[in-house]
Amino acid sequence: MAELLASGGTAEMARAVLDSGADAVYVGAKGWSRRRAQYEMGDEEVIASARYARSLGKVLRVAFNTLPASGEIPLLLAKAEKFVGAGIRDFILTDVGAMKALTERFPGVQIHASVGCTIVNAEDAWFYKEAGATQVVTECRVDREEMRKIRQEVGVGLEVLVHATTCFTYLGRCTMSSYTRQEWRFDEEGKNHFLGSPNRGGLCYRVCLTEWDQRRGDGSLEAGGLVLPNLAYFLVDDIPDLLDLGVDTIKIQGREYSIPLVGRMVRFYRDLIDSYLRDRSSFRMEAWKEQMAGIITERDAERREKTAGLISESGLSA
Amino acid sequence: MPYRESSTASELVLTVASPRELAETDLSPYDSVCLGNAYCRRVAENFAEHPGLLPDAVASLHAAGKKVYVTSPAAPRGRDMPHVERLIDGAASAGADALEVHNMGVLRVLRERGIPIPAHMGAFANVYTHLAAKVMRDFGAVRVRPNAEVSLAEMSVISREAGVEVEILAHGKIPLGITEKCFLLEGPEETDPGCPAACVEEHWLTAGRPGGRGQRSGEGAWVLKNVGKGVLSGKDMCVVEHLPRLLSEGIRIFKVEGLYETAAYRSEVGAAYREALSLALAGGAYAVLPRWAQVLRKHSPNGFCNGYYFGRSGQIYVGTVLQGGNSRV
Repeated sequence: MAELLASGGTAEMARAVLDSGADAVYVGAKGWSRRRAQYEMGDEEVIASARYARSLGKVLRVAFNTLPASGEIPLLLAKAEKFVGAGIRDFILTDVGAMKALTERFPGVQIHASVGCTIVNAEDAWFYKEAGATQVVTECRVDREEMRKIRQEVGVGLEVLVHATTCFTYLGRCTMSSYTRQEWRFDEEGKNHFLGSPNRGGLCYRVCLTEWDQRRGDGSLEAGGLVLPNLAYFLVDDIPDLLDLGVDTIKIQGREYSIPLVGRMVRFYRDLIDSYLRDRSSFRMEAWKEQMAGIITERDAERREKTAGLISESGLSA
Repeated sequence: MPYRESSTASELVLTVASPRELAETDLSPYDSVCLGNAYCRRVAENFAEHPGLLPDAVASLHAAGKKVYVTSPAAPRGRDMPHVERLIDGAASAGADALEVHNMGVLRVLRERGIPIPAHMGAFANVYTHLAAKVMRDFGAVRVRPNAEVSLAEMSVISREAGVEVEILAHGKIPLGITEKCFLLEGPEETDPGCPAACVEEHWLTAGRPGGRGQRSGEGAWVLKNVGKGVLSGKDMCVVEHLPRLLSEGIRIFKVEGLYETAAYRSEVGAAYREALSLALAGGAYAVLPRWAQVLRKHSPNGFCNGYYFGRSGQIYVGTVLQGGNSRV
């Protein structure tokens, strides 16, 4: 049965999503995941949250999914050793070298290839499987046929984001934010947080969402007030299909959102999945879509506020 | 074989999308050429789309003593993979010296076909660590271009530890992103009459005003280049004043980004860098000559940047010779 995976931006959120029906929670180790430190956890918090998950028979997965510097690999392995020693076996990674190092050092750990790997075709999934990934997150526009191939022909776990953003560019292959503003900041462990790089430090200034003018070569205005499309989405209609396809994990992103909102998202998907699986033939989607509309309104309000803050922080006017 | 090994200690590489761009460019400054456009399969006469164009181009470049590489699509979907297979076979049989690879699926296809041609990992391959480069080496990579965000100090580690050559973007627009949909078209690519002409014209995205609200002191308005299926930096990466340092750190492969530029850009920027590299390689006193600065400024209306190499924002210029006073808006 598909696992429902949700975000743990804080220990409190981790507990809330598990209590709201998630089968698993993912958390970021401080400095090592695709969100800024504010939405990540210190080692002791990670370990305590994992203990709570285990007490419910559930799973905690640690995101190590930033692209580190070569010199930071020993820090990664030391942190992983601490977590493995505390009984954590599930990790999310992007760097294929780090993936290989982790599986060689800690045989038997479960590695999920992050959304940052930008897996757009089944051959990509093969590559990451051979590097040690047990499951892959597909890029958000991958079609059903490619998903089926990944699940059945490649034979690696398949994970789909049901709440995330369709970045203007391919997520994981974009450096627009760090081009605008990047600062190197080292924490007490010596980890660089690469502020401004979503791929390396987790903080994206979302500069694509500021207002742009497009000009011709001679400087004349072609179009004013453009916003590069970067939409947050929820998959609802697709859930039955994804379950029929045998997707292994349905993932709800949301570490930067409020705990009550993330709790609502998790409860919604839990009930939707359970309802469909209870009786596929009589399942009707309409009521679920109405319910989702309320969540979308709330999510959009939180996202707008967050985006304006980030653009302003980047140094551009929003 | 007309092809000969280059005797230079360094390599100056140029990217060129089509036979027309190749013919219009003075290639004499360059040691090698990378053919094709990885952003979009529909770019006119894209070498990476038409393997039939490769045998003649490879033969004539080899005859001129240059190495030839062929790029491949940066983000191919499953439906694009049969084309990728044809491209690999076409590049190998044309005698190209390497296939530039951005996508891990393409790299795996290459290995599954017995690595008929070595791989150079491209700008979108997300090479950040020596360990990742080593994994790619096992799949046939002999050269890597680290991601734009990777600093010079990090590149030195990759170059020392990974057993592969390291290529650096020396001059030109930095690739900042690739997109699924063409941002210059309103309709689908297949039917929009604007394709493939739209990306031949220049399109600049600008935000903020100098001294405007939210502007941080010392920084001009933000400029990007919109090429339809990709976003490039508005400023030009420039390392001309840092060449002696780069050489001392072991960097030997310098790329000039020629895609979406004019033939004059490719020819004249290349000539300036050829001269600069020769002077830097000679090992004596080194200074940026006014004529190089003049040429580079002429072709870079939005100014220069190289901040990523020094652990700063990508758009910042670190240096003392070519900084400042060159923003367009």
